[in-house]
Amino acid sequence: MTNNKTNGPDREWLLKMAEFEDSCRSISAGGMAADLGLLPATQSGPHRVFGRLIEFARRKKSLSVEQLAERAQVDLADIVDIEMNEMAAPDVRTVFQLATVLDLPSARLMEVAGLASPRPEVSSAALKFAARSEPTAKLSRDERDALEEFVKVLVETSDKG
Amino acid sequence: MSGIQIQIQSRSTGEFVDASLLDGMAAQDLLLVEREWLAERSLVAQELLRAGVERAKWPQSLHWNWSKKAPQLMLLESTGFGVVCESLWQGVMLTKTASYFARLGSDKGKPLVYVDFLEIAPWNWVIPEIGRDGRYRMIGSTLFWRAVQQSEEEGFHGRVGLHALPQSESFYEKGCGMTPLGRDATKQNLLYFELSREQAQRHLQKGGDA
Repeated sequence: MTNNKTNGPDREWLLKMAEFEDSCRSISAGGMAADLGLLPATQSGPHRVFGRLIEFARRKKSLSVEQLAERAQVDLADIVDIEMNEMAAPDVRTVFQLATVLDLPSARLMEVAGLASPRPEVSSAALKFAARSEPTAKLSRDERDALEEFVKVLVETSDKG
Repeated sequence: MSGIQIQIQSRSTGEFVDASLLDGMAAQDLLLVEREWLAERSLVAQELLRAGVERAKWPQSLHWNWSKKAPQLMLLESTGFGVVCESLWQGVMLTKTASYFARLGSDKGKPLVYVDFLEIAPWNWVIPEIGRDGRYRMIGSTLFWRAVQQSEEEGFHGRVGLHALPQSESFYEKGCGMTPLGRDATKQNLLYFELSREQAQRHLQKGGDA
């Protein structure tokens, strides 16, 4: 089963296996990634809402992911992680920078990101937002309404201190 | 680190090139590999974004950022293997041999090698939507082959278990001849696969789902 020239698998075997590799988009095994929370969650949760909120707020401002990363001085990989990975755990600086660029109240955004305990109004608004939002290329009227309603709650609760 | 000489295939020329299959990585060494892969991951993300490729087609490991998990990685007790070619890490696998037991067939309850992590370098990803053909192939197959070898060395008769990402499921089922044993709620619903001792022998002799 080993090659004469190497100690590894032989060429015929490798060529056969390579065909299977090529028929898939990935060959990754992800047990450890799942343990460490690096995979997208399958259920709605606070991080899912955070990622969706950032994505919608970015699109509302007609910013690309790259532009948002540049303006917020956050790594592009971090923005991709936040928007793609519902288990993303952004740090305080990243959330603060995003809040500044996207005109969102930073203290409330910390709650949505799971970095502070959310008030009941924020939790409730987040759930409504999650239920109404779907990721599409352009914000629909309903998505825009959902975003505006959610941001309104964040701003109002922010005013209360 | 010790290792053996192997060969992998260049996708551009079709030629086989020399590479090393190294033993003896630790989980935290993944941070070194991540540093090497990070810039390319970022490039891939930018190309996907610019091309407007739908997210279902993005590599599901694109956003893995191990540097943020450094403290947890330090605590993991894995042994690792890597394929190095042109002085670059082309693929990495981490395995565990303690506390993982077969669920399949007559060897149920007997120990196996659990592949905790297996990934190839982002420059080897094939993403037709952005014209990425991948530099080298056969890296994933070689690493999986090494997992089966490790299982033999440990006296586990080739038994291997792993959780596959959704985009990788058909590789492990059809390519490696593993048996899917259901989604695992403790692993974010990834599908768990196992290779029995009989399947291991078939895999080593013939490859594929023969």
